[in-house]
Amino acid sequence: MTKFKPGLVHTPVTPFKNDNSVDYATYTKVIDFHIRNGAEALALPMPSGEDMSLTDPELREVLKFAMGHIKGRVPVIAHVSDAGTSIAIERALHAQSLGASAVVSHPPYFWHPKPSMVVEHLVRIGTAIKTLPFFIMNPPVESVGTTLSTDIVLDVIGRLPNLAGVVDASLDFVFMEEVMCNGRPLRPDLQLIAGGDFMVSAGALGGTGMFSSLSAIAPKLVRSLFDMCKMEQFVEARGVQENIGALNHAIKAAGSSGLGDGLAGTKAVLASMGRDCGAPRPPVRRAGEIERGRLLEAIAAMPFLKDEPRGW
Amino acid sequence: MALVLKGVMQSTVTPLKEDFSPDLETFEKLVEFHVRTGATAIAWPHHKAESLNLTIKERKKFAEVAVKVTAGRVPVSIHVSALAVEDTMVLARHAEKIGADAILAITPYFWNPSPEALYDYFVRVGTSVDLPLIAYNSPSYLEGVEITGDLTRRLIERLPNFVAMKEASFDSEKFLEISRVALAMRPTFSMIAGVEFLLPSVPLGGAGSYSSAGAICPNLCTELYESCIAGNWPRARELQYKLAQLWDLFRDQYPSSLKGGMVIMGRPVGPTRPPLPTATRERQDYIHEQLGALGILDSEPHGW
Repeated sequence: MTKFKPGLVHTPVTPFKNDNSVDYATYTKVIDFHIRNGAEALALPMPSGEDMSLTDPELREVLKFAMGHIKGRVPVIAHVSDAGTSIAIERALHAQSLGASAVVSHPPYFWHPKPSMVVEHLVRIGTAIKTLPFFIMNPPVESVGTTLSTDIVLDVIGRLPNLAGVVDASLDFVFMEEVMCNGRPLRPDLQLIAGGDFMVSAGALGGTGMFSSLSAIAPKLVRSLFDMCKMEQFVEARGVQENIGALNHAIKAAGSSGLGDGLAGTKAVLASMGRDCGAPRPPVRRAGEIERGRLLEAIAAMPFLKDEPRGW
Repeated sequence: MALVLKGVMQSTVTPLKEDFSPDLETFEKLVEFHVRTGATAIAWPHHKAESLNLTIKERKKFAEVAVKVTAGRVPVSIHVSALAVEDTMVLARHAEKIGADAILAITPYFWNPSPEALYDYFVRVGTSVDLPLIAYNSPSYLEGVEITGDLTRRLIERLPNFVAMKEASFDSEKFLEISRVALAMRPTFSMIAGVEFLLPSVPLGGAGSYSSAGAICPNLCTELYESCIAGNWPRARELQYKLAQLWDLFRDQYPSSLKGGMVIMGRPVGPTRPPLPTATRERQDYIHEQLGALGILDSEPHGW
């Protein structure tokens, strides 16, 4: 299998118009912004791109459109998660036919299947795409649904030669450590990719990549964190990681829907930085006036954001 | 003695006789063993010491022994949390009376307190004694009841003696959120990881850990800490992965398996009180095999 090491992966938002349709004109600007600002690969549409709020035809169209615009400038990791195995498989095959460099999937959405069924779901997706690198993703602790356990990961490694790695958004020390310690003997090139812009702990434990949604707001800060971790300067990276933590905390606290998902906050900050991507799709609510005001005040008080790009 | 909480601190188990009664004589040997093998602090009774399965009277007696045997060589903190908060207050005052160096308190058990109730609770405990307070955050064990960065900020503002946090969320984001807030307000604040999760926490501002495996392999734990401090990441990774395998071994029926492992290491500390099981002979044989495979039997002290 060709080794694909994605490095710093940006996970762009999906822009919407006022009528909630996908704003493709703005999407081209989003993609170009990320490529120009340090993305080594793009993963889309991830939860930060509101994948769950897009219909199946929209998911396919968004991916096709994005790849047509990217034209191979950076590799694309196609996110194919769904509740149903066959739907996710079809989406993965579609991504492969478009020329995606890799596929990533969470455990099935919504259901709470037994571990053996989670393994089956992931193995079927991975098997369908044959030799294309496949990443499995552990969702954040705030999400509702099934998470990956170390045993699930080890089972999937045993059955999928094309399993390239694990993207961990749970940020759980125990999970990351166990996956690396038990997974590497089975697959020496198994990759651990930090999810959620928190790379210091994952990097120290042997992680080599990062999925970043905050790159939409602060690509320089994110790049700086990634580079320091890549050079194993974990202690030195603490200050940058704390700044990212502060930004992340302010954004998550701003969602008036109370989902703690960061979508409303992210889009509010993007608009304030001259990169308006519209509001999130329902059921996620846009930040209310009070939350928005509080968030922008907090952002204005973050000196480390002053060098970040404004506009496109 | 100025309180310094850093490095590999040992939260000891509780030795019991075969009839499950307190074995204070063995406890003396255990505390001495930890101090002699490099513990930078003694902490008792965390949950691995079966704190909630001991009576308040027993807890006082063990605490007295811990302070007496340590004799000021390293700091001693006493975990004062009990099911009833009134017992917590009694244990806190007792810890102060016997000369402990600090008290530790987890978020209240069983109930699901609001952030405001948590604030009131820690203020009440922290102002009841003239001792440093270590708060204990374990959201995964207490159904999501947690100490947030915001609560940390309020408690630091209110309590001059709030000096440290045992942070056992094992979550990078949560750990960082608390350390970011705490260290900016109180640079001497100690963020202490639960178990031996030193490699993922030291770069985030972690000062050390409350050790789980220290009763089995103090050398390994100390070397991991030193590798993290020295920035020797490849070595730290190797050691952390080995400790992950040990944690996998001991967390099953914790702390019964740990006590079973101590038998293998020539430091028997007796059974575990129900409802927790005691490691069977078969379990001990399995632990023996695993410790051998990991090279622990050859590299760590045997006996007291």
